Amino acid sequence: MNDFTQQIQDIASRLLDNGQVDVFIAWHKGQQDFQVQPYFARSADEAQNIIFNDYSIHNLSNSLLKFRDSKEKIGIVVKGCDSRGIIRLLEDNQIQRERLYIVGICCPGMKDPLQAMRDELGFNHKPESTELAAKCNDCIQPNPVIYDELLGTEQSPRVQDRFARVKEIEAMSADERYQFFEETISRCIRCYACREVCVACDCRTCIFDEMRPQWVGRENNTTDNLMYHIVKASHMAGRCIECGECERVCPVNIPLMLLNQKVIKDVNELFGPYEAGMQYVEGQKPPFSMYEESDPDDFL
Amino acid sequence: MKILNKSKLEEVLNRLGENADVYVPMSKGLQSGFYPWKSLEGGKDELMLDALNVYQPPKSVVFPQTERMYSLYQEGKGLKIEETYENDEPRVIFGARACDIKGIICMDEVFLTGGYEESFYKARRESTTIVANACYEPGPSCFCAAMGVDPLNPEGADVIIRDTGDAYIWEALTEKGEALSSTIKDLLEEKELSVPEAKPFIQQVDYDGVAEKLKGMFEHPIWDRTSEACLNCGICTYICPSCYCFDIQVKMYGHEGYRFRCWDSCMYEEYTREAGGGNPRPTGRERFRNRFLHKLEFFTERYGHPLCTGCGRCIVVCPAGINITSIISEAKEADLDA
Amino acid sequence: MHDDHKCNCEQPLVPGIVEVIDIKEETPDIKSFYVKNIDGQGVPFNVLPGQCAMISTPVGEGMFSCTWQEEQEWLQFAIKRVGLMTDDLHRIEVGQQLGIRGPYGNHFPIEESKGKDMLFIAGGIGLAPLRSFIKYCFKHREDYGKIQIIYGSRSYADLCFKDELFDLWPKEKDTEVFVTIDRPEEGWDGEVNFVPTYLEKLNPDPANKMAVTCGPPVMIKFVIQALEKMGYSDEQIITTLEMRMKCGIGKCGRCNIGSQYICLDGPVYNMVQLRQLPPEW
Repeated sequence: MNDFTQQIQDIASRLLDNGQVDVFIAWHKGQQDFQVQPYFARSADEAQNIIFNDYSIHNLSNSLLKFRDSKEKIGIVVKGCDSRGIIRLLEDNQIQRERLYIVGICCPGMKDPLQAMRDELGFNHKPESTELAAKCNDCIQPNPVIYDELLGTEQSPRVQDRFARVKEIEAMSADERYQFFEETISRCIRCYACREVCVACDCRTCIFDEMRPQWVGRENNTTDNLMYHIVKASHMAGRCIECGECERVCPVNIPLMLLNQKVIKDVNELFGPYEAGMQYVEGQKPPFSMYEESDPDDFL
Repeated sequence: MKILNKSKLEEVLNRLGENADVYVPMSKGLQSGFYPWKSLEGGKDELMLDALNVYQPPKSVVFPQTERMYSLYQEGKGLKIEETYENDEPRVIFGARACDIKGIICMDEVFLTGGYEESFYKARRESTTIVANACYEPGPSCFCAAMGVDPLNPEGADVIIRDTGDAYIWEALTEKGEALSSTIKDLLEEKELSVPEAKPFIQQVDYDGVAEKLKGMFEHPIWDRTSEACLNCGICTYICPSCYCFDIQVKMYGHEGYRFRCWDSCMYEEYTREAGGGNPRPTGRERFRNRFLHKLEFFTERYGHPLCTGCGRCIVVCPAGINITSIISEAKEADLDA
Repeated sequence: MHDDHKCNCEQPLVPGIVEVIDIKEETPDIKSFYVKNIDGQGVPFNVLPGQCAMISTPVGEGMFSCTWQEEQEWLQFAIKRVGLMTDDLHRIEVGQQLGIRGPYGNHFPIEESKGKDMLFIAGGIGLAPLRSFIKYCFKHREDYGKIQIIYGSRSYADLCFKDELFDLWPKEKDTEVFVTIDRPEEGWDGEVNFVPTYLEKLNPDPANKMAVTCGPPVMIKFVIQALEKMGYSDEQIITTLEMRMKCGIGKCGRCNIGSQYICLDGPVYNMVQLRQLPPEW
């Protein structure tokens, strides 16, 4: 990992120095090792603050949205899953390929800084930290799918049974399922961290912020919460790149990827084969951004 | 002195639960927060009185995330408000830390002073008795003392309990506290125990002079850099023991409905968006700045102390690793001519 | 502040009910609503010039400056249609009952302005709050000196309170009314100008004067600049601030500018006070 730190620092310094990029997005260290934070270096000097360690888990492709209206050229570090986010943004015309310098890292799997925080800072009764972050155990794409420069050696996917959790839920009776979702989703505090952290959520005005009309109520109850999560999951159809950030940052442990994966599975079965953000082909659109006569419609 | 033997703790909580809803620090699976003692499921949930703190503060006991205020009934051109829903059922917050109780004191100042006593908060607050759990071992992210909180003698407590290992020293401080003690007096013992020794703070934070200094830093470049990683989600505000901003909304089913209030977050764009569409805080940077200035400067100007109680929760939950103590120290060290 | 000008209810967030006794269309998108208690007995509370009230329908609540209180007869609110709630308000008819709570906020400096000449500068719906002060001055005519009113809006149709602007106010003692519209239009032979430019052209002398301005934020900004150029001191310039509001009592948080809550400490400020605030208004 220290290797990566040095290599990224060198690349960032080089790009910032010769003006190839205006800003380089990576990580820097917080007060503790596990408190790494997304970082926006703007000079070769600042590039020396960059760090890449076990906890550099954040999907930085989401930060590109902050630059969608600027003309700045951007260097960015992405792991396998994060790189799929960049393709999503390119497909949605949120950013232009020529403004990006992408440093890809073949990802050996990360640890979860939030989990470490809870363990280390006294907010947990029993330590929950595992060798790798939960989302990394479900990894289907550790190697970047788009990059200008690649670091590390190719890694193998770690996922055992990709839709195992989905199948468990599908096997439940309708009543059991309802009870399951009622219980998990009633916990939601509507902090919208799952939306804000999501690279596929790139709408300028989100339906949940729209007040004229107000589509989703703001009461913290099962009805409004379910509405939020169902609408959000549907909007993810064909867009979720399975980076798992939504579930990782959820402060009340809602298994958000379960919903997303169900939708991924269905989209793949109905409109597929399709994997969001796996391969960038200019002009290509996700299944729900276009219409074909052969599209199945028997669920209507 | 009065002591409560830990072997009698369950009995005490059961007894208190006969007359009130008792909220205790508890873990429920991966969740932790102040939940009703009655909801504890053996083998699954655990009482967390001996942990540093729980994830969700007791704020919602006095200020629930959603609270109905009054009914609305429309008939022809008529409009009726038949019911208001102040809730003054007795409740006990048992085992809160000083930082979390300070959060409630901040809310007391907001809701109960300044010319208006807000009736929905008042009803809940006045019917709440607080049993504080004195804190002798600060965690790595704790900095309450730097924000003017005394972890050993929690301000605002009706009763203070002090953990001596096998028993708590039980000390009633107010009339409410005395009344609570009297309902369990047969379960308390008279015994002399020595008060535990307080461990030093691991983290050093210096807030001295920061509120004054921030007055001159509204347009300082510090906000450009510190806000850059922020996602503008609302985790920090919702998990904070002192954040109190709320929205007022209405739900109508045909002619009948109710108006309710719910937590709101200054991190959301919609929060200050005007009816005509304009917004004085259009980007994340302005919202981030307002949040930290509110916590560290504006509230201090208005109420004499910051709106941060040093509990460290926002540091623990922030998906972007934003750390309020770094912002305090950056402000402290900032060059005002920058 | 007089005690009876402050909400004294036990439940400050719960509205009382009033009935709309008259509705007057001021412009294509501004209507005046006249309200009184549902028992027909008087007004829900007394309002000082510049104070606001939270008016509600089953769609929502909105904070509006009171345009005039006619003794114990009625309260008048001139309201522009801009959003969901005001859309709803504009659809109601006479006899409709509304929720109301207040009065909120501070008021125009009616005492401090006594013995002074008054200059009122308004744009668009900004005349609605100023009108309460203007009418107060007329009502207590002997307390105030010369009165000048400069008012502008996009077009003739968009001018509020036309009968007062063109007929009633100019007839008041020692009063001048200057009206302008933004763009020339057929049938209008008056001034065509933006309010700040018209103000500079008229160049009213700052001696012993209070200048009170209200309108769109950008107009206020340039009016203040113009007044400063003409030699008005910070103490002589009064304006009102606007932020989104929900509670009206300084608790819900969103209307802060620095440590001030506009609903509670404002909306009326002079330039001395405004200079103490962070530049977020």
